[in-house]
Amino acid sequence: MTIRPPVIEITAAQKMFGSFQALSDINLSIEQGEIVTLLGPSGCGKTTLMRLIAGFEAVTAGTIRIDGKDCAGQPPERRPVNMVFQRYALFPHLDVFENVAFGLKVKGTPKAEIRERVQRMLHIVQLDSYANRYINELSGGQSQRVALARALVNGPKVLLLDEPLAALDLKIRQHMLVEMKRIHAETGATFVYVTHDQDEAMILSDRVVLMEKGRIVQIDRPETMYAAPKSLFAAKFLGETNLFEAAMAGDNALGMTAVTGSGLRFHSSIVPASELRGKVIVSIRPESFRFNRDNDTTQSATGQVEDVIFIGSRSFYTICLADGVRVRVQVQRSTRTSLPKPGEKTEIFWDSDNVVILPQS
Amino acid sequence: MVLKLVVWSILAFLLMPLVIIVLFSFHASPSLSFPFAGFSLRWYAEVLGNAQLGSALLKSLTVAGFTALITLVLGAAASLAWLRLGHRGRALLEVLCLTPIALPGLFVGVSLLVLFAQARVQLSTVTIVISHVVLALPILIVAMRARLALFDRSLEEASRDLGASQMQTFGKVTLPLIAPTLIASAILAFAVSFDEFVVTSFVAGTETTLPMYIWSMMRRTVTPLINAISTLALVFSVAILFIAWLIGHLRRRSAVAGRTVS
Repeated sequence: MTIRPPVIEITAAQKMFGSFQALSDINLSIEQGEIVTLLGPSGCGKTTLMRLIAGFEAVTAGTIRIDGKDCAGQPPERRPVNMVFQRYALFPHLDVFENVAFGLKVKGTPKAEIRERVQRMLHIVQLDSYANRYINELSGGQSQRVALARALVNGPKVLLLDEPLAALDLKIRQHMLVEMKRIHAETGATFVYVTHDQDEAMILSDRVVLMEKGRIVQIDRPETMYAAPKSLFAAKFLGETNLFEAAMAGDNALGMTAVTGSGLRFHSSIVPASELRGKVIVSIRPESFRFNRDNDTTQSATGQVEDVIFIGSRSFYTICLADGVRVRVQVQRSTRTSLPKPGEKTEIFWDSDNVVILPQS
Repeated sequence: MVLKLVVWSILAFLLMPLVIIVLFSFHASPSLSFPFAGFSLRWYAEVLGNAQLGSALLKSLTVAGFTALITLVLGAAASLAWLRLGHRGRALLEVLCLTPIALPGLFVGVSLLVLFAQARVQLSTVTIVISHVVLALPILIVAMRARLALFDRSLEEASRDLGASQMQTFGKVTLPLIAPTLIASAILAFAVSFDEFVVTSFVAGTETTLPMYIWSMMRRTVTPLINAISTLALVFSVAILFIAWLIGHLRRRSAVAGRTVS
């Protein structure tokens, strides 16, 4: 196996718009064939970062290397990357074939080769019979496929996708996510995917780059980021969670312990990202709680069932603990164990590998 | 019912003069009033035989043609700038463009005349064209503004991203997309120039355009010739609009017919 340089390597990149710092201290390297999502709330700089890679904006400081070469000063047309725009930006005066052929044509590709490559790409996105359609005759999902084909037909080193599913309704969105994974597998291209939707990020990505206020706050595999967020922001942004204000009460080789004001103790076996002292926040996902004790479960609390929401395979419980703190608990439907009813007193259990202790800010 | 009546009355009010003029251009007698004394093409024959009228018409067509062409080039440049301006720049451009439209023709005519005199420019066809461009350009920019507001700048970015240089992007994406707007605007400029009278009368010098010739004819006597000229002008205007529509229609069809995909 040979070691290849990362296809994209961003070092200490910064971007200012006037006096506004849009991106600061961005370090990121992306490997060949990966799907990486840039995830964050609107205004976090994720689209700006993508536009820096595409060449529509220039870095204020730092470097961006694509395929090993520093691309400072290189205009977008000379970069080996292609982009799928948020609202597709398909050319309305051209039909589907001409849209997809656009990039090959401006590069002077021979006609026969253009035809062959465009048709093969239209086949991959399953639009074989749509070559002669005009853009205004396509549905949202079809437009999306044309945009993908138009970018991928050029064989880019990296495909940049700017919230490509934001304009689609939920059902088509879920279908397109599956399609996107299939197309990624068929083409083997590297995908850099910008989204504010945590579900899209988790379904698609090999790695998630979580951004907040122009900075990268965490880069991890989706499972890792969900199970072991490194900040309160990461814990809240990905999925649902229960948060408890607590204070550190010691740590040892087996983990750390934090105690809430009312004396509830949380023991965590997850190694923290930074040293923790004083006041902290404890985060536990709703599905990490159970109503029955396992052999090795050592942690529990008692409370009263306030509310139950049943949605088929799962139920959501709101439990009011003795000190008045409310906890959301998610349990799978089961015919073997009996679940508490509204108004009943109950005990909830959790394990130390589901307890994440985070700094307060 | 009442509404219908109102609509039809308004339409009649707007279109009746047109109908009357077209009808009397075919009138067999020189009388401009009813009863109608039968059809004839004698006024059209007389129009075609009138050399002075012919040269005035030619002058007007030349002036309108050049006005449309120059306005088109300047308008295209202005529209490209407009697409790239921020909100403030657009607002400023609009104020600068709207002001001349609001000025009385009399004022524009006098100021242009003074300007030409100061610059020692001989009054000629050239000064007429310059004046008509001054009149048509603001109207053109205002007319284009609404259409260009719909232009999606990300299309230009997409083109660059796909490997097209700035020039290629202009030729393959921007221009084809704004072309219908530009052509429509150029036709508007042509129309503004073709029947312009007030400003022209200041800057024409010894030249005579069609509206000036008609006006001088009517000073002597109202002749049925004018009906025929007006009808021809009407047919001409409608024909230009039809051609503009046809160009857009055929372009689209040929794009599909030019290629077959197996």
